[in-house]
Amino acid sequence: MNFRKIFSSSVFLKSIFIISISILIFISSISYKHSVSLNDSSKWLTHSYKVHLELEQLITNLKSAESGQHGFIITQDTVFLTPYNTAKKEINISFSNLKKILADNKKQVSNLDFLNSLTTSRLKLLELALNLSSEKPFNKVLLGETMLLGNEVMLKIDKRVDQMIDLEMQYLKERRAKYENEISFTPIGTLFILLFSLLVFIFSYYKMNKDLLNLTKSNKELLIKTESFNHAEEIGGFSSWQWDLKTNKLIYSKNNYKLLGYEPEAFMPTLENFFDLIHPDDKDIILENRKKILNTNLSTNINFRIIRKDGSIRHWVSMSKLLIDSNSLKIRIGINRDITEQYLNNIALEEKNIALERGNKELATFNHAASHDLQEPLRKIQIFISRIVESKTSNLSETDTEYFARIQSAANRMRVLIDDLLLFSRTNKAEKVFEKTDLNILLENATQELAQVIEEKNAVLEAAELPKLNVIPFQIQQLFINLIGNSLKYSKKDITPVIKINCKKIMGWDEPTLKLDAAKIYYKISVKDNGLGFEQQYAESIFTLFQRLHQDSEYSGTGIGLSICKKIVENHNGFISAEGKPGKGATFNIWLPV
Amino acid sequence: MNEVIHILLADDDEDDRLFFKDAFKEIKVKTVVHIVNDGVELMNHLLKEDITLPHILFLDLNMPRKSGIECLTEIKKIPHLKEIPISIYSTSASDEDIEETFVKGANVYIKKPSDFSTLKKILTQVITVNWQYHTSGLNRDTFLLSI
Repeated sequence: MNFRKIFSSSVFLKSIFIISISILIFISSISYKHSVSLNDSSKWLTHSYKVHLELEQLITNLKSAESGQHGFIITQDTVFLTPYNTAKKEINISFSNLKKILADNKKQVSNLDFLNSLTTSRLKLLELALNLSSEKPFNKVLLGETMLLGNEVMLKIDKRVDQMIDLEMQYLKERRAKYENEISFTPIGTLFILLFSLLVFIFSYYKMNKDLLNLTKSNKELLIKTESFNHAEEIGGFSSWQWDLKTNKLIYSKNNYKLLGYEPEAFMPTLENFFDLIHPDDKDIILENRKKILNTNLSTNINFRIIRKDGSIRHWVSMSKLLIDSNSLKIRIGINRDITEQYLNNIALEEKNIALERGNKELATFNHAASHDLQEPLRKIQIFISRIVESKTSNLSETDTEYFARIQSAANRMRVLIDDLLLFSRTNKAEKVFEKTDLNILLENATQELAQVIEEKNAVLEAAELPKLNVIPFQIQQLFINLIGNSLKYSKKDITPVIKINCKKIMGWDEPTLKLDAAKIYYKISVKDNGLGFEQQYAESIFTLFQRLHQDSEYSGTGIGLSICKKIVENHNGFISAEGKPGKGATFNIWLPV
Repeated sequence: MNEVIHILLADDDEDDRLFFKDAFKEIKVKTVVHIVNDGVELMNHLLKEDITLPHILFLDLNMPRKSGIECLTEIKKIPHLKEIPISIYSTSASDEDIEETFVKGANVYIKKPSDFSTLKKILTQVITVNWQYHTSGLNRDTFLLSI
């Protein structure tokens, strides 16, 4: 946008310049013409004046010849003949002068010819009169007639000269009129043109000034942009470069020098000295990329290492794209980014991942050992005991039988413990595949698993309608089994165990005491029984692994079941809590997010 | 059922072999029990020319040299052996093992019980099943035998 404005303004300035030059040429050509015509007119003035002068001279000479003749005739003294002779010569000179001056005017030439013949006859008559007067005795009558005739011719000469002078004056008049006509147009025209050019100059001054202001403003903006870009580069750890594909000239941004470990503008960037900074193993990547850059217009993205001035190796990613412009500009512009930190972090992360995987494998091995290797000897102990107890041939005392029963019970307990521990560790590690599942079905499955115990205890289960949720199905089923199993285990003997399962939809902010996500919807599922209950002070600790509230062997659990419940609820980003009153029953609340 | 039932067990555990043998002594069905100590021995035995093929093979999974899974895979590839009903007989009952042996063509999965009378019950049940009939109704839910 700005570029276009400045470009069009430069066209404008060029045309202003051309107009101004042509105006100047026009004005000077007019002035030249004026001075030429002025010159002309003065020449013509001189010309007329000269003609006038020569003609007067002619008349004067004729008169002086006439008076010399008169003087000679009266005195017969030859002294008077000197002016006469001189005048004759002068007259000839005058004629030759006039001939020269009037050569280009036909009318005046014919006048002059006529004047010449008159003058010649006048001079002849003068001479005739002189000759007549010098005869002794002279013919008085003939002399008188000759002199009269001479006087008539002289009158004619005067008349003709006057005519010629008049004509010359007329010419002068005409020329003056023509000159004045020309001159009179010029001042107005020149003034007009001058005013016009003044306007043009004022306008172009205004325009140039405006452009200059715009340019200053754009320059300022550009400076700010460049500086903020430099700033961004420094903070963002990236840099930019330009590669003119026509001239092979490279330009680096300030930060590019810094990323290379140099001071800004420390050297002239060239393709060669950049290549020298590339890690030897990665030089091929750069060569390949350069080939690509020269042959295609595609954007590129490469990873490579450079060796800084101080010798340290840095990992870079470089992205570039082609910039083509209507002025046949062909430049690759690119961004370099130092990704060494991310690269090292990635490596560290990968190492941690490997360690984690190794840990997981060890855990799996442990699981296998627990499930197989620990169970096997235990199972054998159990079988041997059962064989001894069932054997009809062995003679065990009553005490022995009692002891064997205790060993059997202890072994059974150990088996349950191992099974529960395995279950707990599986809850931890099993892959977490969430599926949209109907919780009613999971509860139904759990109830079926517990059917035998429910029947034995004559328990009553009252379940509200449960929602469909995105859960890990077998874990939620296990959760129900553990919670209902827990209620059944700690039921009172003298009354019918009643287990009520309720469900309520709530918002996160409805339960400010819990760390629920305020804006999320949760389902609060509660399992309430009328069993033995517990002191509220143990509400937290019952979820701890191996924590048991009942010392009585009758109620002895493994202390793992509720820990598994907690783990499962946590796997679902939910919460679990317990409320209890000794002798009145317990309620377990679960919040599961939608 | 008056015929003698030939039973083959492959198990590396001495105690388990003893329980197995004792259990069959007490079961009131005519049986001939042959026992091998591991997978390699099992395959060598089965590939002998002059033996009577067992009516049912009990296969422990966790054995040195050649595991039960390997034996199962090999047996199912040998034409004259692949019809022998195979009962997995293992301490563990992990989901992975059950799934894998089911897919590879075992007929039933027994988790070694922890008392002798249950063992006898289970073994009786397994050998009295008509496997030809049972195979057609085979599915994953009834694969793991529980008493």
